Amino acid sequence: MSEISLLVCMLSTRGRLLPAPTWPWVAPAAGKKGHAGLPELRDHELEEQFVRGSGPGGQATNKTSNCVVLKHLPTGVVVKCHQTRSVEQNRKLAREILRERLDVAYRGEESEVLQGKREAVRRKAEKRRKAAENLERKRLFKEARQRDQE
Amino acid sequence: MMLFRPNAILPFIYPKNTGVSRQVLTCAARGVGGSGLTVQQAVMKWQEDFQVSGVAEPELSSQYIVAHVLGLKTLDSLGRRSLVQILSDRQTQRIWELCTQRITRKPVQYVIEEWDFRDLTLKMRPPVFIPRPETEELVRLVLDDLQKQGVGDGLRFLEVGCGSGAISLSLLHSMPQLRGVALDQSQEAVDLTKENAHRLGLSDRLEVLHLDLIKDEDLVLRRCAPVQLLVSNPPYLFTEDMNALAPEVYRFEDHAALDGGQEGMCVIDQILTLASELLSEQGHVYLEVEPRHPPIIRNRLQQRIMGLEYVVTHYDISNRPRFCVLQRR
Repeated sequence: MSEISLLVCMLSTRGRLLPAPTWPWVAPAAGKKGHAGLPELRDHELEEQFVRGSGPGGQATNKTSNCVVLKHLPTGVVVKCHQTRSVEQNRKLAREILRERLDVAYRGEESEVLQGKREAVRRKAEKRRKAAENLERKRLFKEARQRDQE
Repeated sequence: MMLFRPNAILPFIYPKNTGVSRQVLTCAARGVGGSGLTVQQAVMKWQEDFQVSGVAEPELSSQYIVAHVLGLKTLDSLGRRSLVQILSDRQTQRIWELCTQRITRKPVQYVIEEWDFRDLTLKMRPPVFIPRPETEELVRLVLDDLQKQGVGDGLRFLEVGCGSGAISLSLLHSMPQLRGVALDQSQEAVDLTKENAHRLGLSDRLEVLHLDLIKDEDLVLRRCAPVQLLVSNPPYLFTEDMNALAPEVYRFEDHAALDGGQEGMCVIDQILTLASELLSEQGHVYLEVEPRHPPIIRNRLQQRIMGLEYVVTHYDISNRPRFCVLQRR
């Protein structure tokens, strides 16, 4: 029996910022990482589909497919998630991913996702700089020791 | 333990009818840098074999089995670099063993002997009923209601037909104030539920009994009542629908966990009959049912005085009527 496969397409917002949303933003809680600054989702604006193929479902089948497809109706953004073996976990993750995607779409550079990425890049550069510094210090120390021994 | 070079067994693993050129496979089998298959190649090889053999969900089956052998739940987390890693001989052998089982239409969950239910990983063993994704929703409904009404000092529930223990253990895990008693007419189910309870550290909060709700009615009442909540995913299929089941279900899962009789109502009827004696006042019943059942159950409650009220029907993720909530008057 062939599986029903849903074609997922992202709204092509690449490079374009969408107009600011009309719903209120949730202000990031102090000290809390991640999702507090992301847009809230409203149930009536979401369409969720469970890719389980045709058939009666329930006890009648023990299939392993548990892919969740979540569509945000106002923007057309679609998220597909099958990261875990639990459909409920996939539903939760799909919502989180959707919130992040909407955040990027609406806030562009200022979105949590891209801020996070910039922070990661900065931290990595800092690490490299420190490592180079340490190497240099060791090299100088080694040279000084060699001079002393001569 | 037998060790072997993957190349040496090529004639056995690539039988004539795979439909893929042997030459291509032989080259592929040499993999990147040498002697074995990569993760990706093993996944593709078995996906192909499953497809050709008519095994359902060929892609997913292959992915879940290979992931399991690699110590993962899914291959989702693996990046490009990990996918082209060469499998060890032991891994390759294990993949071959498990995938060969899957070719016989044995469900993936039985092949890898585990599956996830909400945030728990449970041991699976044939013929004990494999938890369905719809039932995760049933647990969420119960928890949402319990959170709304408050649980106070604690609450005791009864689960009828516990199977692997998915519902009971999920409830206990998510709400520390709960205690439960679970029963199943299958000794294998009772054993598996106990095993899962033990693995999850929940044995002290769950009593598991080998009882048949219909045959051991008096014993059930004596040992279980009173409870504040009754939950069940009882066998609810119509007998006439049993032989339309896929081989994964029909040949491997306990029919007694599936077949609900002519109208799929045998066990549900007994639950309705005993509910008001089992439940304390205002106690709720949560049932997972066949989509045709809600009006039948409503009708039952109207026709006979059972001390139960129909509260609401909830729909599952495929938008089918799936869950009935009842309350003891």
